[in-house]
Amino acid sequence: MTHHTAQDNVFLPREAEVLKAEQVTATEKHFTLKMKDGVPMTYGPGQILEVSMHGFGEIPIGFASSPTRKDTFDIVIRTVGRVSTAVNKVEKGGSIFLRGPLGNGFDLDKLRGHPILIVAGGIGLCPTRSLIQYILDRRSEFGTFTLFFGVKSPKEQLFHADLKTWRASKDVSFHETVDKGDESWKGNVGVITTLFPKVKITPDTRVVICGPPIMYKFVIRELEKIGIPQTNIYVDLERRMKCGIGKCGHCQINDKYVCMDGPVFAYDQIKNLEEAFR
Amino acid sequence: MKAHFLKENDFPSFLQNLIGGMKVIGPSAKKQKFVFRELQSPDELRLDYDVTILPPKKAMFPTKQELVNFKENRIESSIKPVPQVLLGVHFYDVKAIDMLDNLFKAGHEDRNYLANREATTIVASNIRKVSPRAFFASVGKDVSPKGHDAFLTKVTGGYVYESLTPKGDALLAHGTFAPATDGQVSEAKKVNEKPLSECPEKIKAGSAEVAKKVREAFGKTKMWEDLSRKCFSCGTCNIVCPTCYCFDVQDIWNLDQTSGARCRSWDGCLLEDFSKVSLGAGATENFREHRNERFRHRVMRKTTYLNEKLGGPACVGCGRCSIGCVPDIADPTKIIDRIMEA
Repeated sequence: MTHHTAQDNVFLPREAEVLKAEQVTATEKHFTLKMKDGVPMTYGPGQILEVSMHGFGEIPIGFASSPTRKDTFDIVIRTVGRVSTAVNKVEKGGSIFLRGPLGNGFDLDKLRGHPILIVAGGIGLCPTRSLIQYILDRRSEFGTFTLFFGVKSPKEQLFHADLKTWRASKDVSFHETVDKGDESWKGNVGVITTLFPKVKITPDTRVVICGPPIMYKFVIRELEKIGIPQTNIYVDLERRMKCGIGKCGHCQINDKYVCMDGPVFAYDQIKNLEEAFR
Repeated sequence: MKAHFLKENDFPSFLQNLIGGMKVIGPSAKKQKFVFRELQSPDELRLDYDVTILPPKKAMFPTKQELVNFKENRIESSIKPVPQVLLGVHFYDVKAIDMLDNLFKAGHEDRNYLANREATTIVASNIRKVSPRAFFASVGKDVSPKGHDAFLTKVTGGYVYESLTPKGDALLAHGTFAPATDGQVSEAKKVNEKPLSECPEKIKAGSAEVAKKVREAFGKTKMWEDLSRKCFSCGTCNIVCPTCYCFDVQDIWNLDQTSGARCRSWDGCLLEDFSKVSLGAGATENFREHRNERFRHRVMRKTTYLNEKLGGPACVGCGRCSIGCVPDIADPTKIIDRIMEA
């Protein structure tokens, strides 16, 4: 019989030290973390973590930074419920507990060498930032790179330093919009699909979509108009992954477990699954 | 396999020795029904039961189980398996436990279940009375029961004890066993064939055919609405099912407010909140919002979704869901027959 130790308990989290904690919007907090046991977090863009605080519980969160940025990694948490409220009280020097990396992230081999479009809505920018940074860090491995970012109102924008860099960068064609502007907003107003007429997106583009559930079908409709095949469209889905290891059943879409088979799926794999989008 | 014989009169002392030495869980009467519970004395064991309210999976996968425990910033594994004997398990429940073994092993190994499972000696027993809602003779016919350590069969004058593993052999020391005769072994075989002939053939089609037809019926929303119209979304069909293993995870504080544990508890895909996601500011998204979608999800999981992993349907024909469902709409045989006829 194989010898097992307590460390084989897949539910046992590891401790991470908070190197930086910044409240970036009214509800979102951005953490930079480092594993306390000295074993670095080895992950791919698009993978997820179960983030926890003792006594409050666990929530699934995507990596918000690329593995190309070594030693530390980022997560962004929106204050929503019991767990996220507790995590978002942690400040620099404190600890957050993690299990992961879990799930299947972006298939980089399928993206390399092609034009890329990332469509991020709201905090959908957090998990896609792991890919955005990756592409920018290894720019020559990818074709033209376009990034669409939409939020409801200007105050919901996050990663302000990044946005500033991307606006000025020649490495990414960055376009942003807000559903509803305010007196300070000079940019585009309208839902994220209003950005499509502004840029030439070619049919050979590989597309990544992450945002609120409502966004997917409208974006996919635009992509179909351009003639982008469904095999080249990737969606990053959110579910209530309670275990993250394909057991508890909460994230199941038909016969797929989002935590194991996803959270990133090629659109043609799941488009016929009625429970994937609503 | 080695077959042994234990005289009827020697059975109580065998049981007494087992109970005196370790935790023994077996079928026992609870008012008019039966439950698996820890036995305190040999007379509590009721091997003449038809079916228990809850399946024996609870011996390895408790209704509430501590996964990890914490005190201030320190967190530790809560895996502490207790050696136990699970006695009197019918073959359909043996099949279900084997499915759970496979599912908890697949991908990330769930030691919280598997450690308990490895510490359990399973002694199966023959079915003496067939539950009126059972259909174990007509589901997953090509899936054989495996994973048990011994099989106990009531024959003339006593019991045939067929030991299948070293764990099964280890129990022999607790009783005055003699080698079983060929006659006793062949009688045991006949005894075990009897319930199969007594259990009505309720599903005519084979598992592969059912799996295909059910999957094709996914989009028949009107039919799923009809089938689920009386569903209360109470989750009883999930809770009594021997192959259901979905769970919720919650943290619980001790009274000292510095220590506590992360625990899992049985959950069910028929419950309304099961697939609900918080979007913030009180908004939610429910990916199986309507009861016909949740009803369909259960049927899909039992008949098609898990078949590749398990080599057959995730249903063993115990009939517990049919018994437990208040509006009596959960019976898989009725649902499958309706789909097959369409």
